[in-house]
Amino acid sequence: MKGIESVRGYQEEIIEAIPSTIIVVNRNQEVLYANRNYYAKSVAKKERDVLGERLSRVIPPFLIEKTRIDDKIREVFLTGVPFDGDQLRYPGGMFYFYKIYPLKEGEASISKVVIFMENITELTRLEEELRDSYVKLENAYDELKENDEMKSEFISTASHELRTPITVINSYIEMFEEGMLGELGVVQREKIQIISSQIEHMIRLVEDMLDTSRLESRKLKIHKSSIKVDEIARKVLDELSRLSGLKEQAVSLTIEGPLSEIEGDGRRITQVFNNLLTNAIKYTHNKGKIDVIIRDEPCDIQVSIVDNGIGVAKKDQSKIFEKFFTGNGSSLTRESGRMGLGLAIAKGIVEAHKGRIWVESEIGKGSTFIFTLPKA
Amino acid sequence: MKLLVVDDAPEMLKAFRDILEAHGCEVYEAENGEEALIKYADMKPDIVLMDILMPRLDGISATKRIMQEDPFAKIIVISAVGKSGLEKECLVAGAKEFVVKPFKVRELLNSIDSLVKQ
Repeated sequence: MKGIESVRGYQEEIIEAIPSTIIVVNRNQEVLYANRNYYAKSVAKKERDVLGERLSRVIPPFLIEKTRIDDKIREVFLTGVPFDGDQLRYPGGMFYFYKIYPLKEGEASISKVVIFMENITELTRLEEELRDSYVKLENAYDELKENDEMKSEFISTASHELRTPITVINSYIEMFEEGMLGELGVVQREKIQIISSQIEHMIRLVEDMLDTSRLESRKLKIHKSSIKVDEIARKVLDELSRLSGLKEQAVSLTIEGPLSEIEGDGRRITQVFNNLLTNAIKYTHNKGKIDVIIRDEPCDIQVSIVDNGIGVAKKDQSKIFEKFFTGNGSSLTRESGRMGLGLAIAKGIVEAHKGRIWVESEIGKGSTFIFTLPKA
Repeated sequence: MKLLVVDDAPEMLKAFRDILEAHGCEVYEAENGEEALIKYADMKPDIVLMDILMPRLDGISATKRIMQEDPFAKIIVISAVGKSGLEKECLVAGAKEFVVKPFKVRELLNSIDSLVKQ
């Protein structure tokens, strides 16, 4: 049994119950039928005033004027093609939507049409509100984007502008160190070394700032070639051995299984190791332990950097990868020499390689930073 | 050895002069690309150290123009911008080397010494 069969015999109840106005007219545009909704909307009208009357006398005259619904009805009778709908604005901000369908008797002859009218005021209002909110949202987004671009632009310009003075200072320091400006005494040499290490620190900060602005504007370019992750790890550990040595930390490197070479940016991956290991050394006590474990997994290379340092509180674990996050909000207790960019940059680089980075940590017991680099 | 240094920052020019004179070079200065073209023609330096971002005529255009005049010119571009793609652009323009600020003085002098022997 077709679905429609099951409702045969209930047509009347159904049509009467439809919450839209339904009017059926003949070729002379005389009303043959109007449903309950019509009478509910036109309180003054009774069925005997309506049936047999011309349509133009049972709906408001301005409505005919504005819509030329009479012409459209004639058109439907003539062509047999339904009129698929139009909107109508009533005075007082009401919106209606109407459609005209031909009712065919046999093949060609049309003796009646049915007119559907629906009050869409609420819908229209919601639609307008939605459009309004959308425009507001879009404006706010544009403004935010503009601010963000301005900020990135500012960081980029500032770090470029800083390069010339840094280069000048650095050049003279090197000339002193090289003895190009005469021999230095022990004291001068020692002080020049302090200036030198501080200017190096400043260069790193400027580079970090530039990298952050590149990450934000998605201009961080990854230059891929075949790389060996374990070799990079060894090189960085070697470079940082002086720093970990000062804190008498036990640093180890474990390679599990033969490692596949992967496609990646060697310089950038070096930066990831450097940032994660510098943090591990910094946040692990004297005589603490730092283990670097590199595993060959089916789809990627997984690197874990495990320390038994101060750890990261649960509530901070997702925030530490955001830029400018340095542990707590107060700039007064903030550790000096950090802008909170290292992990944000590491995350940006790992993600640019389509890898993942996360932390597992318990406060007071230590942290494990893990990142993956896909093999293909 | 004669060197022409081109940079719009006077402090940078002074630093170049001090580094290069201490290394025994004769140093000429230009503050932009246009001036560099004139000084190059006048002085015929062995090597040019060329900044990129400068008023009037930028370093890449100046490099191209000098290379047109003298295909044997030896130009080292020294850029404050390390953007990828820029290095390639400079080498295509005819520069022999691309150095990013801040550079190591020792490395720069080594580059100059080996380039002048070529």
